[in-house]
Amino acid sequence: MSNYLDALSVLLLISAFVLMGNKRTNAYIKSFKMQSILIAILTGVMGINSLLKDGHVDMLVVCAVVIGIKVIYIPYLLNKTCKNVAYRVEKDFYFNIPILILGCCFIVVFTYFSLSTTTGINSGNINMQVINSVSLILIGLFFMISRKKAIGLIIGFLVIENGIFVTALFATQGMPFIVDMGILMDILVAVIIMGMMAFRIDEKFVSTDGNKIKDLRG
Amino acid sequence: MVEAVYLIVQISVIILIAPLVNGIIKKIKALTQKRTGGPLLQMYYDLFKMLKKTAVVSDVSSWIFKVTPFIVFSTAVAAALIVPVTTLIKPRWFPGDLIMLVSIFALGRFFMMLAALDAGSTFGGMGASREAMISSLIEPSIIVSLITVGLIAKSTSVFEIMNFMQEIHNPLIHPVYIMSFCALVIIIIAETSRIPVDDPGTHLELTMVHEAMVLEYSGRNLALMELGAAIKQLVFITLLVNIFIPHDQLINITGFAGIGISLLVYLLKIVVVSIVIAIAEVSTVKLRLFSIPNLAALSFILSFIGFLQYFVFGG
Repeated sequence: MSNYLDALSVLLLISAFVLMGNKRTNAYIKSFKMQSILIAILTGVMGINSLLKDGHVDMLVVCAVVIGIKVIYIPYLLNKTCKNVAYRVEKDFYFNIPILILGCCFIVVFTYFSLSTTTGINSGNINMQVINSVSLILIGLFFMISRKKAIGLIIGFLVIENGIFVTALFATQGMPFIVDMGILMDILVAVIIMGMMAFRIDEKFVSTDGNKIKDLRG
Repeated sequence: MVEAVYLIVQISVIILIAPLVNGIIKKIKALTQKRTGGPLLQMYYDLFKMLKKTAVVSDVSSWIFKVTPFIVFSTAVAAALIVPVTTLIKPRWFPGDLIMLVSIFALGRFFMMLAALDAGSTFGGMGASREAMISSLIEPSIIVSLITVGLIAKSTSVFEIMNFMQEIHNPLIHPVYIMSFCALVIIIIAETSRIPVDDPGTHLELTMVHEAMVLEYSGRNLALMELGAAIKQLVFITLLVNIFIPHDQLINITGFAGIGISLLVYLLKIVVVSIVIAIAEVSTVKLRLFSIPNLAALSFILSFIGFLQYFVFGG
């Protein structure tokens, strides 16, 4: 069981690296979808485990909601926004991709060496799952920093959220049902609003480049 | 005695199966494009035909041009000897290890690039410089990913690593090996000049890498070069499937019957991997040449993080 969870956490880390290595907006959305599918599998595995152990079904409900929101609806929304906004192929990042991937590697090394000696969660030792998911959060943050366009920023935000969700899942073996639901609804509303904002920004300023919004300063 | 059996099985299996992998990949690609495609054994017929013909050699080329096909073929076969197709044959001595494997491939590639430059055509030089770029980008990640596996197995011999992996229950769900596996998949794509890196089916001057280097060859020499490339591809696939998807621990029969069953399972794995490669090749597009460093960086970092995980958490 914990072996499978370890493997899934490593696959999540790999998906974050693949996301970082992408160049185009469509590819971001595809990688985000893959990552969400991995999270759905993870929730499903944990849900089946808790169903067999204690008879709780709430993790399986969370799994279904994750599939509905993160795997199907948010990628659909982003694709729609992307068609309206980011059809132009432009350079989207400040540094080239090998440097960005090396930066991610430094983040992972940092997380490993700062968290691997910490104790407290999960009977004494922080395990590899928590470390991988914390590096997922930081990689999401780095992704958000490294991209200029609005869709990239939204995806970075979603990756951070994925990381937080997975960290909570690994650290506590399932949060209270209402908390999970609240977070997922929050995310849904946030993405809808951000998609609309991106569309409006594109309409007003012709580009969704975050740098150009600096022109608004007096 | 065992050594002789090992040599015969190793060389015959690798040389006989190598063109089949290309045949399967081409067939699947043709089927996805609603074509019938050539027969599955087309590459064997081509090789036979080419081996019967004499080669045309340019007047201005030096001895390197003539000697390279033999070097490429013999380095490929030498590499095939290091990577066992079945671990049920246990020779007393075992030739070479991981580092030897990488350096043998590097030798073959070096002479290939020299020969491409030697003929003096513009395509040759272009292909050689591209190949040098790709191989120098990919080589660190081969070393790091294989050495990580070697560190856990406490040996650099491929045979010992394969034996060690058989004792691990299902290596593909083990975190360290997932990283090395993903890195090795990217390496195989780059090393065997498959689609995201190089298109093996094209002769368009803008995109070809491997084809540009063998463009000047004909007849017997071309057959040796093609067969050498096919063997190299099969050796890499063998390395992948026999390290990360071991099967020999499941076979209880000893002797020739066991070896036969083991080889059949091996053949099945090779066919499955070639189908997967073909599907991956159909569903992606060729990368721009300057996007290849991204792929190489991804593969290197994945193998490096696998290495790191081994140090932090143990194998």
